[in-house]
Amino acid sequence: MPDDYRQYLIRLIAMHGISEIMGALPEKEWVPRAPTLHRKLAIMAKVQDELGHGQLLLRVAEDLVAPLGMNREDLLNGLFKGTIHFHNVFHMPAPTWADAGIIGWLVDGAAIITQGMLVQGSYAPYCRALERIIAEESFHIQHGESICIALAEGTKAQRQMLQEALNRWWEPLLFFFGPPPKSELTKHQDLGLMYRLRNRTNEELRQRFFHKYVPRIQALGLTIPDPNLRLDKETNTWHYTQPDWSKFKAILRNEGPMSKARLILRHSAWEQNRWVREVLSTRAAVAV
Amino acid sequence: MAEERLEYHIYEVFAQESQMAPAVHQFSLLASSPDMALILAKENFLRRQKAWSVWVVRRDHIHRTGPEEAEMFDRLDKSYRETEGYRYLKEKWRRYKHEPLTTQTMT
Ligand SMILES: [Fe+2]
Ligand SMILES: [Fe+2]
Repeated sequence: MPDDYRQYLIRLIAMHGISEIMGALPEKEWVPRAPTLHRKLAIMAKVQDELGHGQLLLRVAEDLVAPLGMNREDLLNGLFKGTIHFHNVFHMPAPTWADAGIIGWLVDGAAIITQGMLVQGSYAPYCRALERIIAEESFHIQHGESICIALAEGTKAQRQMLQEALNRWWEPLLFFFGPPPKSELTKHQDLGLMYRLRNRTNEELRQRFFHKYVPRIQALGLTIPDPNLRLDKETNTWHYTQPDWSKFKAILRNEGPMSKARLILRHSAWEQNRWVREVLSTRAAVAV
Repeated sequence: MAEERLEYHIYEVFAQESQMAPAVHQFSLLASSPDMALILAKENFLRRQKAWSVWVVRRDHIHRTGPEEAEMFDRLDKSYRETEGYRYLKEKWRRYKHEPLTTQTMT
C-alpha cells in the first residue's frame, strides 16, 4: 500500500470515526428533553447508532495505523491533541427540538450523499463499514423527516421554531461538503480523486444536495435563507450565495461556536469512563 | 490482591440468522475477552438484525488464503463437476420418452 494512500485513508477514516462520536453530542442533549416517549426512544436509538458507526470506523482505522505502531487509544487521543479534527458540522449549537429534527433530516441527508460516493471507493474495509452505516442512515433521515414534518404541520410557534432552526443550519450545510474547487482548502480532494476514494468534487456533492433537498424544504413551506438561491435550468446548476468561508477556517482551528465546549464534554466523558476501561482490561484474581 | 492485565485482541464476528442459516461474517471489533467481544458484537452489529447465534473468533486464530490465490478458484473449466456439463441428458431422456430426474423431483 503506497504511503500517501495509507496516510490519506487514516486521515479520512479516523476523522470520520471521531466525527460520528462527536456528532452524537448535539443530539444527545435532546434525549432527556424529547417531547414524547416514542421520540425519546427514537433519538436514543439514533445516538446509539452514531456511536456504533464510530466503533466500526475506528476498527478500520486501527488496522491502518497498526503497522505504524499506533492503536485505538492514539486515535482517540488525537482528538484531544488536535491532530484529528471532527467534522465542521458538529461545531454548531442545537438549541431547540427543531435543531434535532434538522440534524436528522438535512445533516444526515448530506452525510448520505457523501457516504454514497465514498462507499464506491477503492478501499474495501472502509466500504464494508460504510455499507452497514448507510443501512442505518436511512432510518436516521426518516427519523429527522418525521420530526420536521410534524413541526411543519404543527402550530405557528412550531413552524417558527423549525424555520429558525433551518436558518441556523443553512450555512453549516453549505460548509458540510467543504470548499469549492480551486480553493487553497481543497488540496486533499485531488489525492482522493487520484486514488479513487472519491469520484465527485465537493461542489458536485453540494449541487446534488440542492437538487434533492431544496424542493422538499420549500414544499414544507419553509424559506431558505438565501435570496440568491435559484436553479439555472439550462446548466442544471444551483446558484447560491457563498457562505463566509472564514468561519469555516475558524472551525478547522477548533474555533467554531461549540468547538471548545464539545471537546471539553468529550474529554470529561473519556475521563469519567476511565474506570470502565480499567475494569474491562483487568481480571481480579479470585480469592480461594 | 493481584490483578491480571488483559490484552486487547481483534475479534471477527459472525452471526447466524436461524439454526439452518450459515454463519455470516459481520465485521470485527476490539475486545479484552471473548465475553466482552460477545457483548460488543450484540451491541454493534445486532441492534436490528435478527440472530439465532453469534460467533466471535480471534482474528489471529483464523487461517485464510490471500488475494494471490483468489484467481485460482475460477481458472479452470469445471463443467464436469456441474450439472451444466450434463444438460444434453434432458434431450436424451426426451427420446426415451421419460422426464429426467433431479433432486427436486425425487423428494
Ligand atoms: Fe452515522
Ligand atoms: Fe446518522
